[in-house]
Amino acid sequence: MMDDVRDDSDKGSPPPPRADQKEAERRQGGRRVAERKSDSVRAAIRTELDDDAPAAAAQAADKEDRGESDAIIELEHVNLAFSTPILEDVSFVARKGETICIVGESGTGKSTTLKLILRLLIPDRGCVNIDGEDITHLSFVEALEVRQRMGMVFQGAALFDSMSVFENIAYPLREHTKLNDDEILQRVREKLEFVDLEPDKVMEQLPSELSGGMRKRVGIARGMANNPQIMLYDEPTSGLDPLTTGTITRLIKKLQRELDVTSVVVSHDIRSVFNMATKVAVLHERRIAFFGTPEEMAASDDPYLRDFLGGS
Amino acid sequence: MPAFTARLADAAKEKLQTVQAYFALGGRAIGFIFARPFYFQDFVQQMDEIGVKSLGIVLLTGFFTGMVLALQSSVQLKDFGISSLVGRLVTGSMIRELGPVLAGLMVAGRVGSGIAAQLGSMRVTEQIDALNTLGTDPIKKLVTPRVLAALVMLPILTIINDFVGIVGGNLIATLLIGIPSGQYWRTVWEQIVSGGFTLRYIPNDFIQGLVKPFVFGGIISISGCYFGLNTTGGTEGVGQATTRTVVLSSILILVVDYFLTQILLSVFAP
Repeated sequence: MMDDVRDDSDKGSPPPPRADQKEAERRQGGRRVAERKSDSVRAAIRTELDDDAPAAAAQAADKEDRGESDAIIELEHVNLAFSTPILEDVSFVARKGETICIVGESGTGKSTTLKLILRLLIPDRGCVNIDGEDITHLSFVEALEVRQRMGMVFQGAALFDSMSVFENIAYPLREHTKLNDDEILQRVREKLEFVDLEPDKVMEQLPSELSGGMRKRVGIARGMANNPQIMLYDEPTSGLDPLTTGTITRLIKKLQRELDVTSVVVSHDIRSVFNMATKVAVLHERRIAFFGTPEEMAASDDPYLRDFLGGS
Repeated sequence: MPAFTARLADAAKEKLQTVQAYFALGGRAIGFIFARPFYFQDFVQQMDEIGVKSLGIVLLTGFFTGMVLALQSSVQLKDFGISSLVGRLVTGSMIRELGPVLAGLMVAGRVGSGIAAQLGSMRVTEQIDALNTLGTDPIKKLVTPRVLAALVMLPILTIINDFVGIVGGNLIATLLIGIPSGQYWRTVWEQIVSGGFTLRYIPNDFIQGLVKPFVFGGIISISGCYFGLNTTGGTEGVGQATTRTVVLSSILILVVDYFLTQILLSVFAP
């Protein structure tokens, strides 16, 4: 849309003088490259959709048939403000096994939404329901119990840097389960293998000795150690190379497919989002500008969405 | 003018809220000492971090303070012809005042800043949020073991500080002033018994000297934890948190010391 606007304005402007002909051609060329890039991004998104959309749609339909479409996470007309408004009338539902991806420009309240789901923040108005229970009125201790049903993967992994990889993953098990040492070791190995890491190699390493991608995978392993029904990811692919981004995206899909986990992913990586999302929520100017399937988003004529996708 | 008063009121309100949050953190941390789960391993680790690793600076501080006290007081006492009472002066000063205050200031610099830096780094790298999301109360896991360890270790460090200070005084008294060691230790004992006893066996000077480091331990650990947990602004914020911890702890130690002395002297009047 923005490209169209720019083209229209260019049509109205006078032709460039002869001396600037080359510069104008260079600019024109640059614009064509940008347009081609935008088209290629959309083509790539379509490819991602073509690959996974039928399977995801079939999976969702199958769940509907089995009556498993209960709302696990539900935000109802949530409003939040600090010194300035952050979120206004935000509502969406994540049903069992769905992966909701929240996208939007920086500073639109994406990570804040995750904090509301975790009840690290309390909305000024509106409800946050987890498994049908409104968590906004819970006490601090009750909120800690609710959080045990969730796994969170942080942008920087947030591994405890004084603990080894094993201790990091074993931490929630030691805190909240009565598993003995052998069972904990077994569970840690199982989770590390799930995230494609070799337990014998990494278990005794410190987080500082791991690469960014490995830290993210250990973060996912720690988040899922307690077998939570909800997984939350804050920018899981930020700062990673394309190959590692693909690995992390596949891991998130594997969690959904094999363990039927309900996930909410905050991301800037639109290709990954289209690859893994059951539904996409677009936050724009403190509100949900769009909530629907990736197919609906790709087909949307909304100028902001078209601009957002083209510019990604 | 009304705008100015409104700004003043806002600033006062903000400061008041900070003080309230500081005491609320301390209250919750102390309340959790008796609540499950107990993080015993963290407590032992913090005793090592706060106590054992501070031993070196406390030994050095105490020893040289005792020596300089003996040296200075011998000059003053000589004018009155009572140089033999150097032991009394060194003991009284070390046990009642200098031992607790110097140990407190040393630990505030070494441990308070360490606590603030560690918790501040954990805050900016989202490790505190991670604890929360893993269903752990960060105050119970991080603050309580540190506060408890400081409450236990500061009095122990102070006892060591007092003792090496008196030993340092003995060294100077014997080698430079010419007071026999036996006489020096006799005057040390005279000083200890002169303040009277509580429950027949506990010298009042000891109580005075141990109440203070107990309070100072609380001040140092709660300040470090408060500024650490409230760190904002990345690595620069961590630096600010450590500076604020050391400044506030040091000032509070000196101010609280005066008021505690007033109270303790009125309770344990010789």
